[in-house]
Amino acid sequence: MIVPFAHVLTFAAALFVMGLACVLARRNLIMILIGVEVMLNAVGVVLVGASALWRQVDGQVFVIFLMAMTSAEVSISLAMVVYLRRRKGTINADAFDGMKG
Amino acid sequence: MNPKLLFLIPLLPLLCGAANALCGMRLPRRLAVILAVGGVAAATVLTLVAWPLAAGKGTAAVLYTWLASGPLEVPVAIRFDALSAPMTLMVTFVSTLIHLYATGYMEREEDYARFFALLNLFVFAMLTIVLADNLLLLFLGWEGVGFCSYGLIGFWYREEKNAIAGRKAFIVTRVGDVFFGIALLWLFKLAGTLSVTAINARADAIPAGDLTVLVLLLLAGACGKSAQLPLMTWLPDAMAGPTPVSALIHAATMVTAGVYLLCRLFPLVSLSPAGMGAIASVGALTALYAATSALAQREIKRVLAYSTMSQIGYMFLAVGAGSVTGAMFHLFTHAFFKALLFMGAGCLIHLAGDENDIFKMGGMAKKHRPVFLLFVAGGLCLAGVPLTGGFFSKDLILLAAFEGGHPLYPLLWAVGLVTALLTALYTFRLLYLVFAGEPRGSGEAHRLPASMVWSLYPLAALGLAGGLLNLPPMVGGGEALQELLGPLAGREASASHAVEWILAGLSTLAVATGWLIARSRYRTFSGKPRGALQSFLLAGWQADRLADLLLVRPFGAIARFLWQGVDLSVIDGLLESLARGCRGGGERLRILTTGRLSSYLTAFAWGLVVILGWFLIAIIK
Repeated sequence: MIVPFAHVLTFAAALFVMGLACVLARRNLIMILIGVEVMLNAVGVVLVGASALWRQVDGQVFVIFLMAMTSAEVSISLAMVVYLRRRKGTINADAFDGMKG
Repeated sequence: MNPKLLFLIPLLPLLCGAANALCGMRLPRRLAVILAVGGVAAATVLTLVAWPLAAGKGTAAVLYTWLASGPLEVPVAIRFDALSAPMTLMVTFVSTLIHLYATGYMEREEDYARFFALLNLFVFAMLTIVLADNLLLLFLGWEGVGFCSYGLIGFWYREEKNAIAGRKAFIVTRVGDVFFGIALLWLFKLAGTLSVTAINARADAIPAGDLTVLVLLLLAGACGKSAQLPLMTWLPDAMAGPTPVSALIHAATMVTAGVYLLCRLFPLVSLSPAGMGAIASVGALTALYAATSALAQREIKRVLAYSTMSQIGYMFLAVGAGSVTGAMFHLFTHAFFKALLFMGAGCLIHLAGDENDIFKMGGMAKKHRPVFLLFVAGGLCLAGVPLTGGFFSKDLILLAAFEGGHPLYPLLWAVGLVTALLTALYTFRLLYLVFAGEPRGSGEAHRLPASMVWSLYPLAALGLAGGLLNLPPMVGGGEALQELLGPLAGREASASHAVEWILAGLSTLAVATGWLIARSRYRTFSGKPRGALQSFLLAGWQADRLADLLLVRPFGAIARFLWQGVDLSVIDGLLESLARGCRGGGERLRILTTGRLSSYLTAFAWGLVVILGWFLIAIIK
C-alpha cells in the first residue's frame, strides 16, 4: 500500500472530528445531517484503508453496504426535515423541544 | 321418618328467606309475603310431625362433615331431644304468628322483601342455635341472630337514631360473643371435641378451677345475648326496630338464647357451684334492676323491653338455682305473653296514631275492645296474677331459688319476690296509664289490619293457659314439662306442699300489693312533673352514661390518640416526607431533560470523550 496506514487513520480521525464539530456546533438540521454524513464517511475511509492493509475484501464490501444504507437514511432524514419544517416553519433543532421535562 | 328430614326445619325458612332476599322485590307482593309466612309455617308443621323423634334420648342427625382437621371435627349435626324439640316448636310457632302479624303491620312498607328476608333468616339462625349439636354450629347461629337483629333494629336506617341503636346492639352483644368464643376454644382444648352431647358427658373430667372460669365465660356470652347485667344497655334502644321485630327477636326468641345455651350445657354448668351462684346472682340483680327501671319508662315499648330483661333475669335465676324446668317453663310462657304484649303494643301505637308515649295515651279501652282485652290478658300474665301462665312459671323459679342449697339463694329469692311486686306495679301502671281515664293524645287512629288482631288470640290463649305446660302437683298437675325433659330437667323441687302454698301465697300477696299501689297512683293520670329518682330510673340507672364514661370515652380518647397522635403524625408523616424527598429529587433531575437535540448531542460527545479517556488510561497502564 502506497499510503501509510497511519496517514489514513489520521485523515479519518480529522474527518470524524470535523463532522462531530459540525454536528455539535450547528443548529440547522440539514447541517447536522451533513455532519453525520461526514462522520460516517470517516468511518468508511478507515474501513477501506484497513481492507487494503490486510488485503481482505470484506472492508470494501462493507463500505458499499454503508453507502447504500446511508443513502436510504438520508432520504428518510430529509423527508423528516421537510415534515418538521412544515410543522413549525423552521429547521432550527432547538425549536423542537417538546420532550422537555 | 328419616332423621335427616329434621334439617328441613331450619332450612325451609332459610330457603324462603334466600328467595325473598334474591328476588323478593321482583315477585308480586302477595307471593313474597306468602313465601315468608309459608316457610316458617311449614317448619312448624314439620316440627309437629317430627315430634315423636324427640322421645327418649332424642334423635341425632348428621348432614355432612363441615370441618375436619386433626382432632377437630365439626359435623353439621343436629340433636332433636326433649330440650330442643319444645324450644323448636315454640320458636317456629311464635315466629309464624309474628310473621302473620307482620304482614299486616308492614302492609304500607315499601321495602318488604328485605324485612321478610331478614326475618326468615333470623328464624333460620335461631333454629340453628336451638338444634345444633355442635358448639361451632351453634356459634354460627349465635352470630347469625346477632346480625339479623342488627339489620332489623336498624331497618328504618334512614333515621340515624335507628341505625345507631342497631350498631349499639351489635357491638354490645359482640362483647359477650367474644367471651363465648373464648369459652368455645377452651372447651375444645379441655374436652377435645365441640359436640354438646360429648362435652356434657365428659364434663366431670374437667378440673374444677377451669370449670368455674368456663362457666363464667359462658355466662358472659349468655349475658350479652340475653341483655343481662352488665351487658344490658342495648335492649331498650333495640326498640327502635319495627314492632314485630321487637316481639320476635327482642322478647320471644333471640334474647332467650343465652338461657337456652346455659340449659343446653347444664350438665357442665351445674358442676360449678360458684358459677351457678354467679348465674343466679346476675339473674336476680338484673330482674330487680330492670323492674325498677321499667317503673319510670314513658314509651310503651321501653316498658316492655325492661320487663323482658327482668323476666330473663328470672330465667337466669332458675338456671342458677338448678332448675332447668323452671327456666324453660318461664321461657315458654314468657315467649307467649311477651310476644302478645309487644304485638298488642304495636296495635295500640297504631290506634293512638303512632303515639308511643303512655302519658299521652289514656282511654284506649274504648277505642278497640279486642285489643284491650288481649293486652290486659298479656299484662296479667306478665304481672303473675294467679292461675295465669306467668304465675306458675315464676312460682316454680322462686321455689327453686328458695330451696337452693347455699344461704345465698334465699337472699336471691327475696330479691325475686320484691321484683314480683315491682313487676305487678309497673305492669298495672302501664295498663292504667294506657287504658284508664280519658284520651290525652290527639293522634288519629290508623286502620288496624285484621291479621294484626287475629294473630294475638292464640298467643293470649297460650299465655293464660301456659300453666298447663307444667302444672305443679300441689294443684293436681302432672308437671308435663318436667316429665318431658326427664334427665335434662335439672334439680327437682323437693319442698313440701305446705311450703309451696306459703310461697305461692307470698307471691300472690306481692302481686296484689303491686296492683293496689298502681291502682292508687295511676288510676287517674296526675301528670305530675317527675322527680330526680324518676329521671334516674327513666335513664335506666344512668347505665348508658356510666358505660359512656367508663368505656366509650376512654376508648374514644385512645382511638383519637392513635389516629391523630400516631397514624397521622408519625406514620403518615414518615411516609409523606419520604414521598416528598423522592419528589424533590425528581424535580431537580428534571432540569437535565431540556428536550433540545443539541444538548443531548453534546452529552453524547462528552460520553465519547469519557470512553476514549478510559481506554487511553487502560492502554497507558
